[in-house]
Amino acid sequence: MKILIIEDEHELAQDMADYLSGQDYLCEIAADFNQASNKIIFYEYDCILLDLMLPFGNGLQLLELLKAEKRMDGVIIISAKNALEDKIKGLQIGADDYLAKPFHLSELTARIYSVIRRKQFDNSNIVTHEELTVDLLSKTVTVGSNLVPLTKKEFDLLLLFLGNKNKVISRNALAEHLSGDIADMLDNHDFVYAHVKNLKKKLTGAGCTNYLKTVYGTGYKWEL
Amino acid sequence: MNRLLDKPFQSFSIYALIILVCSIPVYYFVVDTIWLDELDEHNTIIRQQIEQNIRKIDTQESDLDKTLNIWNSLQPGIAFTPLQTSEIYKDSIYTATSYNKFAKETDRFRVLSTTIFIQKKPYHLVISTNVEETDETLLVVAIITAFFFLVLVLGFVFLNKRIARNSWKPFYRTLEQLKRFDLNKDQHIELEESDILEFEELNTALTTLIEKNTLAFNQQKRFIENASHELQTPLAILKTKADVLLQNEHLNEKLSAIIAAINSNLARISRINKNMLLLAKIENNQFPEKANTNLKEAVEETVDSLTDYGLNKGMDIRMDLQSYPLYCNSTLLEVLLNNLLTNAIRHGEVNQPVLISMKDNKLIFSNRGKQALKPEQLFVRFAISSSETTNSGLGLSISKEICDQNRWKISYTFIDHFHVFSIEF
Repeated sequence: MKILIIEDEHELAQDMADYLSGQDYLCEIAADFNQASNKIIFYEYDCILLDLMLPFGNGLQLLELLKAEKRMDGVIIISAKNALEDKIKGLQIGADDYLAKPFHLSELTARIYSVIRRKQFDNSNIVTHEELTVDLLSKTVTVGSNLVPLTKKEFDLLLLFLGNKNKVISRNALAEHLSGDIADMLDNHDFVYAHVKNLKKKLTGAGCTNYLKTVYGTGYKWEL
Repeated sequence: MNRLLDKPFQSFSIYALIILVCSIPVYYFVVDTIWLDELDEHNTIIRQQIEQNIRKIDTQESDLDKTLNIWNSLQPGIAFTPLQTSEIYKDSIYTATSYNKFAKETDRFRVLSTTIFIQKKPYHLVISTNVEETDETLLVVAIITAFFFLVLVLGFVFLNKRIARNSWKPFYRTLEQLKRFDLNKDQHIELEESDILEFEELNTALTTLIEKNTLAFNQQKRFIENASHELQTPLAILKTKADVLLQNEHLNEKLSAIIAAINSNLARISRINKNMLLLAKIENNQFPEKANTNLKEAVEETVDSLTDYGLNKGMDIRMDLQSYPLYCNSTLLEVLLNNLLTNAIRHGEVNQPVLISMKDNKLIFSNRGKQALKPEQLFVRFAISSSETTNSGLGLSISKEICDQNRWKISYTFIDHFHVFSIEF
């Protein structure tokens, strides 16, 4: 799957590309407005990661361009500004999601995963992973024929793991994924532990192989 | 406190009183002197007339004496007395007093005593004219002075009011505007023009001062906003670097712990940064949209999102709420409630409940604590000691700012080992 990273900060763009490449994504980087518009005109992408503040232009103009071309590429706006107006405007013009800097790579990957799923499986929205079947619309998980009753948070965590296979995810990133902006306010993220433990217990209880590993007490990994 | 205009009024009145009181003897002296002078002249003229007229009359000596006797008894102011040649009087002028039988009072007289010759025979002529008494003159002068003093004071009062009303009007307007001025509200101040030099100078100086301050204040706000924005990108890079590092194949327990520490400190920096930005935005009124919300629902949502966090510390969040409609910005309300609840959980004692209750228009958060916080430092930015490493030092400042903007009242008390934060909506 092809991803275009439109980001003028080289280090950040490269790290994003490296991380995503490990997840079977093919990444291209555009460092300014002109490069980005050229790439958008000539190629199609499954997902475009769009920084709003770019050399030679504003990211919102690229969104308008995509809309004018009636393109179906998924777009996630990544902005340092975290301004509500930009967010609303971006989503109105046709972006699929909005992620404020700074963010965890696992969060970005989960968002990309979700955007691409939404774009590709408009009707069924079913993700399968080995013996695991996840219905994104009805938010149900089944192992074989066993329904696994997950809470909303456990379901969210499962999606994060499925979008970040074989990656170590810090507890911090899990907390931010679960609590969003509030995670910043909390002095410790230990509450995540309980949710991961419950998720693991429910999945294995339903007969699923234990893919979820704890890494040195500080992180978690969905290992194949 | 005295009004500025009353100060000169008092001084002027006292000064006028002193001058007028001093003027009483002066007036008396002048009036009396003029009077006496005039009477002396009068007496002299009478004497001359008598001298002239008497020469024209040609009478016998015996008739003359008889006539003079009749004169003396009929004309009280003028008296002739025949003299021996040896005892001729020199002219003299003096003041005399004598008791008046009819008016039953002592009268004052101005007397001209002289010698005239009638048919070569010397006569002592005494002309005395009634003069106003000293005390009477003094009394009249004093009454008139008092009257004018009264007129003067009344005039001062009237003029003072007029000046206050007209000339000082721009000053009071300026004062009123300054009282209402709030640097935080980014208002433009329009001072009234005045034709008085000092007020105009004052207004110019004030306008310059306010403009400079507003500019400095706005620059500072913009600086904080820009600085926070600039920090976001390096923070984002550091955060992704930590994530990349975590994927390293040589990851071991020690490295993993270091990355966890880096992550939690990065989270702290981004929290401070986000809060600074949020505070700047609130101060800049960048949350203008308001909508009808219900406080009860908003609190329930907040509690819902923080239950996990509380449970992890063994804290049970107990609510006692009623429906309460509010018209405000929902984002800010959410921030406010989040701040207060996370504070209660963060600083509350482990395994003790956090209580949220509502009483009329008051929302109360309480949690158990060991000792009271310093209320004067509570809402000041970064004032709380940094030993509490997870604190951004801005949460309560933000809460206060949100309350101020919505004219809600936030307060803190420590009752029976409970920290109590309450907001009056």
